Amino acid sequence: MRAFSDLRFSPPALAALALLIVAGFLIDDEYILNLMIISLFFGAQAMVFDFTAGFIGIINFGFAAFLGLGAYVSALSAIRLGLSPWLAMWLGAGVAGIVGWLTAILTLRLSGIFATVMSWFVGLTLLSLATALVPLTRGSLGLSVPPLLEAAERRPLFFALLPLAALIYAVLRAITRSRVGLAFRAIGDNIEAARASGINPSRYRSLNFTISCFFAGLLGGFYAHFVGILTPEIMATSHTVEVLALAYIGGRGSLWGGLAAAFLVIPVFEFLKPLFEIRLVIYGLLLIAVMIYVPDGLAGRLARLRRVA
Amino acid sequence: MDGWALWDLFLTGLLRGGLYALMALGLSLVFGVINIPQFAHGEFYMLGAYFAYFAFFTLGSTPMVAILLAGAAGFAAGALIEKALFGPLRKRGGADWVMNTFLVTIGLSFVLQNGALALWGANFRGITGYWSGSLRLGSSMSIPLDRVAGFGLAIGAILAFWLFLGRTRTGRAIRAVAQDETGAALLGIEPNRIRNLAFALSTMLAAIAGGSLLSLNPAHPAMGSEALFKSWFVVILSGLGSVGAAIPGGFLVGILETFGSYFFGSVWQDCVSISIIILILLFRPNGLFASDVRGIWER
Repeated sequence: MRAFSDLRFSPPALAALALLIVAGFLIDDEYILNLMIISLFFGAQAMVFDFTAGFIGIINFGFAAFLGLGAYVSALSAIRLGLSPWLAMWLGAGVAGIVGWLTAILTLRLSGIFATVMSWFVGLTLLSLATALVPLTRGSLGLSVPPLLEAAERRPLFFALLPLAALIYAVLRAITRSRVGLAFRAIGDNIEAARASGINPSRYRSLNFTISCFFAGLLGGFYAHFVGILTPEIMATSHTVEVLALAYIGGRGSLWGGLAAAFLVIPVFEFLKPLFEIRLVIYGLLLIAVMIYVPDGLAGRLARLRRVA
Repeated sequence: MDGWALWDLFLTGLLRGGLYALMALGLSLVFGVINIPQFAHGEFYMLGAYFAYFAFFTLGSTPMVAILLAGAAGFAAGALIEKALFGPLRKRGGADWVMNTFLVTIGLSFVLQNGALALWGANFRGITGYWSGSLRLGSSMSIPLDRVAGFGLAIGAILAFWLFLGRTRTGRAIRAVAQDETGAALLGIEPNRIRNLAFALSTMLAAIAGGSLLSLNPAHPAMGSEALFKSWFVVILSGLGSVGAAIPGGFLVGILETFGSYFFGSVWQDCVSISIIILILLFRPNGLFASDVRGIWER
């Protein structure tokens, strides 16, 4: 199949990967390493989110819930079935992918904003299920989850997440650069024109949702075993908004933009932590400003600069 | 269960539905006239509750005045925000108007919700009641007068709004812009003014809803999320073909929820309602009361 033949990194991406590896070895400060893990985690989420929003033009507003679904499945299969967290993560990803596929089937006949709202409803249902199924999830009391690694140091955890993030980037990039990716863009630009060119929107939309929910679930599994305690709160819409803001600040349809935005925005916000709610007000204002004045985000600005130069 | 218990459930659902109809009316107005999928609608409901609280509790005005003040403040806030945010966005133009405005309103909701948290703190600000006393409507269940008054206010606001849209020149101008902007502009209607008005009216309706239910739902920064979800629920269920569809839709959802939570328990209420809406949308993807007119909201 030609679709997956292009599993390579571009030179800037290779440079970024090398930089992250070197930084992971050189930096000894636990606090900074933790910040790097969080930035990488959010950056990977933003890439997965962009794979749907930036390409087929449907915002998966239940994104955090799919991530949470993966987290819960992974945590529960580690607790109940005694599965290793490394394996449980992939099980969580699989279940999230299947539910993502079902959501796509549900929303196939709906266009644009309706599909978005529907995915939001599905996310809210998952959230209320996680809260209501107390015997299974312990509800809002929280579930304590076996850790990924015995050691409490951050460096091994960073190197556990880095390959996952690199894999996600490589797979998503390969898909978006293949004919499948072209079909995604065509659907996102103009669904009628895409249909007229012989593209079956239903097939590509469900494929896209399945892949992005699969990876969201995988990241959720990592999160569950990384943090060690899981509450339904992780599925809240506000978490989707955080990821969405990063993806759009980075630039829609670029994949790497969200990752770059995460490494720029998250450390700054960590620094602003003493400001409490004002920090989130700034976050909202940032999203508004980007949407009004820089709609194509960081990646779009860079591309424009390159064209001028 | 006997007939009276069913009647009680029905009444409770009806009272709840009045609020949903009022909220959803504003939402479908904004979507119908200016194509904005408003995700900060719940935040104006929240602002309305705060405004009414400050007017009633701090300033000591009468209940009616407090609610009207909340509505006026909601109108002013909406008019200002529309000018500040959507004006520049419209000037830039671009194809993705619906998605872009959706994202802007998400940012707006974040700003308003956390701004309220920073300004007024996380504690609940409620009142014991605007009016005291209770009522019996046939059965043994007594309904607080406040609840009935809130319902009456919602119905009053819906009726007034309906008459305004149908009978006044400005109302007709709003409908004209919703149907055909260029055509309306040719007739001497200023689309920008009408858009601003429509947005402000919708936020006013949300603020009135928040203000009139203050004794049931105390003011709190995060109270808007629930209201937003419910109003979107109504709008999606009833379809976006016409603004009027939101009214029966609101009552339907109110009744559906009361029965759902009675028979399945309140934790399952959301699951039950969403399952039903998913089933309905499988067969009627444009909503229950959707008209055949399409394309107003998707340009």
